[in-house]
Amino acid sequence: MTAAIEATGLGKSYRRTWALRDCTLAIPEGRVTGLVGPNGAGKTTLLQLATGQLRPTRGTISVLGAPPAVSPAQLARVGFVAQDAPLYARMRVADHLRMGAWLNPGWADELAQRRIAQVGLDPEQRAGSLSGGQRAQLALTLALAKRPGLLILDEPAASLDPLARREFLRGLMEAVAEHGTSVVLSSHLVTDLERVCDYLIVLVASRVRVAGEVSALLASHHRLSGPRRDPGTLPADQDVIEESHTDKQSILLVRTDEPVHDPAWTVKPVSLEELVIAYMNPANDIPARRPQLGVAS
Amino acid sequence: MIRLTWLQFRAQALTAAAALAAFAVLLAATGPHLASLYAASRITGCRGGTCATAASGFLSKLAATSPYPIVYVLGIGLILAAPAIIGIFWGAPLIARELEARTFALAWTQSITRTRWLAVKLTLTGLAAMAVTEGLSLMYGWWAAPIGEAARLGYSGQPVGMGPFSLPAFDAHGITPLGYAAFAFTLGVTAGVLLRRAVPAMAITLAIFAAVQVAFPLWIRPHLSPARHTSAALGSYNGSTHVSGSDFAFTVDHLPSQPGAWILSSGAVNAAGQPVSTIPAACAKLPAGGPGLTPCLTGQGWRVAITYQPASRYWAFQATETAIYLALALALAGYCFWRLNRRTT
Amino acid sequence: MIEFQLDETSGVATYLQLVQQVHQALRVGMLEPGDQLPTAQQVVARLAINPNTVHKAYRELEREGLARARPGLGTFITRSPSGTDTATQARFLADMTGWLRSARSAGLGPDDIEAIYRTAFRTCFAEGVA
Repeated sequence: MTAAIEATGLGKSYRRTWALRDCTLAIPEGRVTGLVGPNGAGKTTLLQLATGQLRPTRGTISVLGAPPAVSPAQLARVGFVAQDAPLYARMRVADHLRMGAWLNPGWADELAQRRIAQVGLDPEQRAGSLSGGQRAQLALTLALAKRPGLLILDEPAASLDPLARREFLRGLMEAVAEHGTSVVLSSHLVTDLERVCDYLIVLVASRVRVAGEVSALLASHHRLSGPRRDPGTLPADQDVIEESHTDKQSILLVRTDEPVHDPAWTVKPVSLEELVIAYMNPANDIPARRPQLGVAS
Repeated sequence: MIRLTWLQFRAQALTAAAALAAFAVLLAATGPHLASLYAASRITGCRGGTCATAASGFLSKLAATSPYPIVYVLGIGLILAAPAIIGIFWGAPLIARELEARTFALAWTQSITRTRWLAVKLTLTGLAAMAVTEGLSLMYGWWAAPIGEAARLGYSGQPVGMGPFSLPAFDAHGITPLGYAAFAFTLGVTAGVLLRRAVPAMAITLAIFAAVQVAFPLWIRPHLSPARHTSAALGSYNGSTHVSGSDFAFTVDHLPSQPGAWILSSGAVNAAGQPVSTIPAACAKLPAGGPGLTPCLTGQGWRVAITYQPASRYWAFQATETAIYLALALALAGYCFWRLNRRTT
Repeated sequence: MIEFQLDETSGVATYLQLVQQVHQALRVGMLEPGDQLPTAQQVVARLAINPNTVHKAYRELEREGLARARPGLGTFITRSPSGTDTATQARFLADMTGWLRSARSAGLGPDDIEAIYRTAFRTCFAEGVA
């Protein structure tokens, strides 16, 4: 399967700080990929590099097999919804759609009109007077109607109320179901990600901490609890992601592809939220090897 | 992209059109009476000395007839201000507003490159800016033609009469408004790109444009073509003498042999051609303003030297100055393209 | 047509929840062989989940032999999961419903009933009875 986004040693620095460093990943096509991380971790920078709004300082990135934004044809293949869904406040909804038709040769006007009607937007209303949820839906319509192969969204639901957020995700998933669009969306709301993502990347302090299929991640991470034990004594194929000890008990979060045979452990599955939190915790020392799990078919 | 540019530019264009229309109405209302005054002044078909008299008579009558002085000054003021207004309101927000509102994330992820996006916006809006300013200038030129003609023909010490090279007249007529508009507009766009906020960009554009518009005629325009020199005997020309103590200064406003010439400098020089301003001892005791001073100084070898640009060079100056401003505008535009494509922030 | 629900707190993977709901529906006769399962688009429109999850659930059902995808037409149930027919299942459903009603009128609450059920379940299946 070709990669929707492929980055090798990607880095971006501003004067003396690195917004993104040593980023190597291959986001598969046909998936909904979640990009999680705390604020300032580099999520927006990665997405801006992917859409061609920034040039890398180091390393390479390719989107659907070509450098980002290198030609109008390449620009047409990627749709983008920026944080807070920026729109032209004094332009009407209908004008935004016309802009889409004028600037995108692949524009599907029937799809755009249908979506606007479905979401209940008034075409004559100016974008500045729309609610947050409505702006997000309009921005999503603009991105979807150019029929991109890849849709990139930067924290699209962050400032939306729960209902608006659900409606937004519903619209997004319906588009994926209908057209098979690949999606990369960044968020710090793990509950949303659980619902819609089948590939996950955790980005902390400008580095990738883990990346992989959600089902593979959940299958390979376990919560082990048992009598107090030094993590160093664990078998080599078990990577300890998080550990906590009392004088009598140890609770570990381990990553392993093999089943855990040791009867001293009680083995429990890990929820996606627990997994993300463990990887986001800067106190946890993530083993350097194999940060990315292979793509399961 | 052309249609989108028009959609986003519509409101500003209509405002400019309304202003143009209002000015046109004003000119149309006052034009015919001006023309009839001119016809009655018998300047057309005049010969020799009567021309100066007829012209002076016409201009003084005009200066006393309201609203002509106001319209005259208003017109020049409007044309001088138009590039600055356009630079501020059309140029500065063009990109600054996209950066401030973050709509660039929307604009630059459509299926159109930044270069083409900027090219269409700059070209269409820039051409509109040039058209509006030049339109104002042409309308006004048509209206003020009689006044210009009268000023050319006669000497006039009144504020209404001016030669084609005089400061406001040069800036407001011909093709220089095109250059000013292009420059002010691209200056505004560049300020917006660099400062990324519309209001500071507007302020900086105004400040820099005003500074350039003051500095250019003072320091650059005089040198666009090598000036001509001439000298004559002290008493030859009508000029103003200023004596204070032993300081002597003599300035000339116009050369009868060169109507409409732009006097760059004039003053007394000694026999060797050096500028002098101190009355020599031999003439020191003569009363200032008396009839003996000038012959005495002439006897000392003093002459008057004048540096000027002849009126025939008017269009050459117009073309050169416009070309310089257009080149500046193109350079600024090129910088904006480079800056936008650099993509570091 | 079956309408899927999603229990976000259960800790069970979404696709498995869908599979289990199909099993459940088959057991109680809500779904019968020949019935069409909702399309991925219909499920997504209702639940706002990833359509791949639906595909994964249906692939699992296909693997279990319970359903089959017919290109261009949809995914259809092919047989019931257990060996017994739906009539038997309907009979036991009726018995169970009756039992629950009398337990309630005897004053037993939901927690009591659940505890009784779990104890009986464990005892029964620990005995090795199929």
